[in-house]
Amino acid sequence: MIRKDMKLKSIAVVAVLTIAFTSCSIDSESTTTESDATVETEVASTEAAARATITVEDAWARTSPMDATVGAAYMNITSSADDALVGASVDTSVAMMTQVHETTTAADGSMGMQEIKSLPLLAGVKTELKPGGYHIMMMKLVKPLVVGETVSITLTFESGSTQVVEVPVLEEAP
Amino acid sequence: MNRSTNFLKNFLTLTTFATLLFSCSTESSQFVGLVRDQPLDVSKVYLPEETNASPAEPFNTVAANGELLILFFGYTNCPDLCPTTLADIRAAFARIGDDAKRVSVAFVTVDPERDTAQLLTNYVGSFVDRFHVLRTTDFNELQVAKDAFLASSTIQKTSDGKVEVSHTATAYVVDDSGLVVDELPFGVGADGFENDLKILLREIN
Repeated sequence: MIRKDMKLKSIAVVAVLTIAFTSCSIDSESTTTESDATVETEVASTEAAARATITVEDAWARTSPMDATVGAAYMNITSSADDALVGASVDTSVAMMTQVHETTTAADGSMGMQEIKSLPLLAGVKTELKPGGYHIMMMKLVKPLVVGETVSITLTFESGSTQVVEVPVLEEAP
Repeated sequence: MNRSTNFLKNFLTLTTFATLLFSCSTESSQFVGLVRDQPLDVSKVYLPEETNASPAEPFNTVAANGELLILFFGYTNCPDLCPTTLADIRAAFARIGDDAKRVSVAFVTVDPERDTAQLLTNYVGSFVDRFHVLRTTDFNELQVAKDAFLASSTIQKTSDGKVEVSHTATAYVVDDSGLVVDELPFGVGADGFENDLKILLREIN
């Protein structure tokens, strides 16, 4: 008996909420027909994609110790829409090969690196590339990375856009 | 079982210390790194020391009298962990000042095939002044050293010719009796090194 009462009560609550919600949406769409609304949504999403911006902040590359053949660059990337970093490159006058890497810790506590083919960027969320985590690895450096110089790194995103980032060479994180 | 419990205990201790450090003032007496109740004894470890001037000579992984030795397993083709750790040590030395002259760095290569004596010397020497580069191509000799520090490393050649290296990225602080008095895991930063070295240097004064 009590159980039945509760069930009834729940149904009543849901019903009230549903009515409230439905009446709200009817209100907001009262001036548009259904087909118009659909078109509007499509336009809005296309505009959102066109407006999607990718912001790169605090980029820096560590000086390569004398004779080192590899170097790493770090930065924070924020995309206004869901996207992914799928590649990075530098001019072959700087390094012969560039990849996005992740430093990982194995079960025994030892640490290694692996290439990341696609680093997800969630809309509006800052993704950090920092020491001990993600980094852009430059391999077969043609010449050492020297403090005071900058490296142009081209980032490629899943959405098809690319962005060139001027990365200063520093001794420490900025 | 015992090992994993220990690991958990160490991890918790470390986390607690790290939390304490960052919530307290700079003049802390709490270690950021791991301090074992039973410190590792590495007084029997010898590895060949490479110098540009002379052939390799056995180096005992013990600090000079009244000094400290920071030992790290790494390799020069390492773009992230090794230069970050060495740069953190350099920054800590700069903040500590004159007292840091009582600390030297030993860098043990886990990639002896590619890391020549000259590469190692230039690499480590570009960060710190007082250092030893240790290199052996004898797998067993390196393994004995790694075992003493409870460290590990692997090298794998992939089919496309790349070399994949993994290694323990802990910095071990050894005193002049050959005991590992502090173990700083990767990520403690210059602040962590500065904090722990200051405590240790005060203790041996």
